[in-house]
Amino acid sequence: MEMKFTTKNVNVYYGDAQAINNVSLDIPDRAVMAMIGPSGCGKSTYLRCLNRMNDTIPIARVDGDIRLDGHDIHSEIDVVHLRARVGMVFQKPNPFPKSIFDNIAYGPKLHGIATKKSDLEAIVEESLQKAGLWNEVKDRLGSPGTGLSGGQQQRLCIARAIAVSPEVILMDEPCSALDPIATAKIEELIDELRQNYCIAIVTHSMQQAARVSQRTAFFHLGDLVESGPTTEIFTNPKDQRTQDYITGRFG
Amino acid sequence: MTDTSILSKTDYHTSEQAERLLKKRYRSEARFIFYGRLAIICALLILVTLLSSIFLQGYTSFYQHMAILEFDLKQELVDPQNTGDPEVIAKADYRTIVNNMLREKFPDVTVRRDRKALKDIISSGSDLFVRSAVMADLSLVGTRATIAVPLSDDADSVFKGFIDRTLPEDERRVKDNQLGWLDQLSEEGRIESRFNMTFFQVGDSREPELAGIWGAVVGSALTLVVTLLISFPLGVATAIYLEEFAPKNRWTDLIEVNINNLAAVPSIVFGLLGLAVFLNFFGLPRSAPLVGGLVLALMTLPTIIIASRASLKAVPPSIREGGLGVGASHVQTVFHHVLPLAMPGMMTGTIIGMAQALGETAPLLMIGMVAFIVDVPTGITSPATVLPVQIFIWADSPERAFVAKTGGAIMVLLSFLVIMNLIAVMLRRRFERRW
Ligand SMILES: Nc1ncnc2c1ncn2[C@@H]1O[C@H](COP(=O)(O)OP(=O)(O)O)[C@@H](O)[C@H]1O
Ligand SMILES: [Mg+2]
Repeated sequence: MEMKFTTKNVNVYYGDAQAINNVSLDIPDRAVMAMIGPSGCGKSTYLRCLNRMNDTIPIARVDGDIRLDGHDIHSEIDVVHLRARVGMVFQKPNPFPKSIFDNIAYGPKLHGIATKKSDLEAIVEESLQKAGLWNEVKDRLGSPGTGLSGGQQQRLCIARAIAVSPEVILMDEPCSALDPIATAKIEELIDELRQNYCIAIVTHSMQQAARVSQRTAFFHLGDLVESGPTTEIFTNPKDQRTQDYITGRFG
Repeated sequence: MTDTSILSKTDYHTSEQAERLLKKRYRSEARFIFYGRLAIICALLILVTLLSSIFLQGYTSFYQHMAILEFDLKQELVDPQNTGDPEVIAKADYRTIVNNMLREKFPDVTVRRDRKALKDIISSGSDLFVRSAVMADLSLVGTRATIAVPLSDDADSVFKGFIDRTLPEDERRVKDNQLGWLDQLSEEGRIESRFNMTFFQVGDSREPELAGIWGAVVGSALTLVVTLLISFPLGVATAIYLEEFAPKNRWTDLIEVNINNLAAVPSIVFGLLGLAVFLNFFGLPRSAPLVGGLVLALMTLPTIIIASRASLKAVPPSIREGGLGVGASHVQTVFHHVLPLAMPGMMTGTIIGMAQALGETAPLLMIGMVAFIVDVPTGITSPATVLPVQIFIWADSPERAFVAKTGGAIMVLLSFLVIMNLIAVMLRRRFERRW
């Protein structure tokens, strides 16, 4: 399996408090990597290291070696390029308060991927197709993205991320604000997207991790306890803490 | 657990004690609501008293009694060479024409003192009204024309009912003979009450019937334009920098504290600053909207900065993350996503700041905008006054008619303030949070 991200000895501090301790983890390409663990164990923090979103938190400090395709994301890749290559979908759907069309066209316009209107239209359609939203919104591309239902908004955000042609998509509990039906749709979508992208997803639902991921990493109190093929983690965990967590003894 | 445990008294909520407590709770709630309503009623009463006293004091300034008189616009007086040239006609001696009219209308007034009293019943600016009537219709030259001229402020007061005719003559501003002439004109149907256009067309004057607020309105507008052009971009830029880009350290904390303190500095201090810096050091012209606007901009800046920062803060972080997440740079995220959402709040803050500036008097007194200025200002460097200062000047004048002008000007100022606040409210409604 080819690795997209390789991270070594990652530590993250919020002020004096350390949130992530020496995490070394590789994330495979064209597969879904799930990160599970009890609340507050640092899953989101780790995920946000991968597109340097922690830079926006003044008190956060990240050290360690994080490489995308072998290039150090702190020294060899510009942060704006990094975020274009590594898209992100957040816990709460956050479409821009603009039209559906503009939500998706914004990124490609920004990066100069498309400037002609026809190209933009093609990108918008393809992104929405890939995000499984096209049929629902094709007649109202001009209406505000914030007017969609929660599940639709989240798929719009996925389409928005896809539209800038990223290599990686990071998802931080993308279904936690959604109902079971919308969740099922997104999970299906994630399964399709894995053909073309490297996907890292944080989830608090072990069932979800089991359903969508090929590899799983279990975090606990800022430590990476263990990681490996999802089936192995769920059927034959090596660490007692993992076992306790997946059998529901804590979490 | 035994039955004596306090938690096992399951019948508590149906007991008499609980009932009493509940009633007491409702009573105190009712009392609280009553006090609230009382406070609102008191506030409303005070407001109504204030507004109605201003209205009662000021509404008479919006109309004016005019005398409709027949003037002999003799060719040899107006345009002796019969040139028809407006410039010649404009320079004619209309004062003589007015005097001739009075002599003709009241031929038996011959004593010098009486003639002076007669002249005093119509406005000393009557010749200007005759002139503008002629200038508006040049064909009047050489004819006898019926033209309306304003009564003097004292004569106007007679018809507005401010002069008590039962007082002894020497305690009255309008004498018996003047009353006689006015009554005669009135019986002939030559006195007419009209909407006071002059009030909205001209600047200040020593004669109340010729004084208007247009000069002050234009002065206020020019001043506010300067204020807006300086304080809005500067304030918004400062707010964006401090809120979105500045590092959080001791220096920025200090700046923040100082901005908040500046908002509390008495406005007269800004006036002194303006006097010392803009007038004495930079030598900018006195009484000019430019300087007034600069001073008011200093005063408004903290308001705008604070409001702008608050509305930037109110934009949810998820919008910023969305922008950054698709690879927008920090600046792009701020300008494409955060600023548009914060803009209505910023504009509301700015309008409120402008409304404050519009009502500000003290700092402008310091930089000489309190001078008596007749001409309507034509630019930001020409001498001007502003509405609140005009009110201050008129309130200080002894004539009865200026008291009414004061009320009228206050009403105009208040309407501008109400309009500005309405715009602020509308902006807020229109662009209410859309996320
Ligand atoms: N912005 C922040 N400032 C300070 N501490 C934070 C911040 N974000 C997260 N933390 C702390 O870091 C730890 C890990 O948080 P997080 O990564 O959000 O956990 P998870 O996503 O696994 O629930 C927690 O103890 C949390 O309190
Ligand atoms: Mg989290």
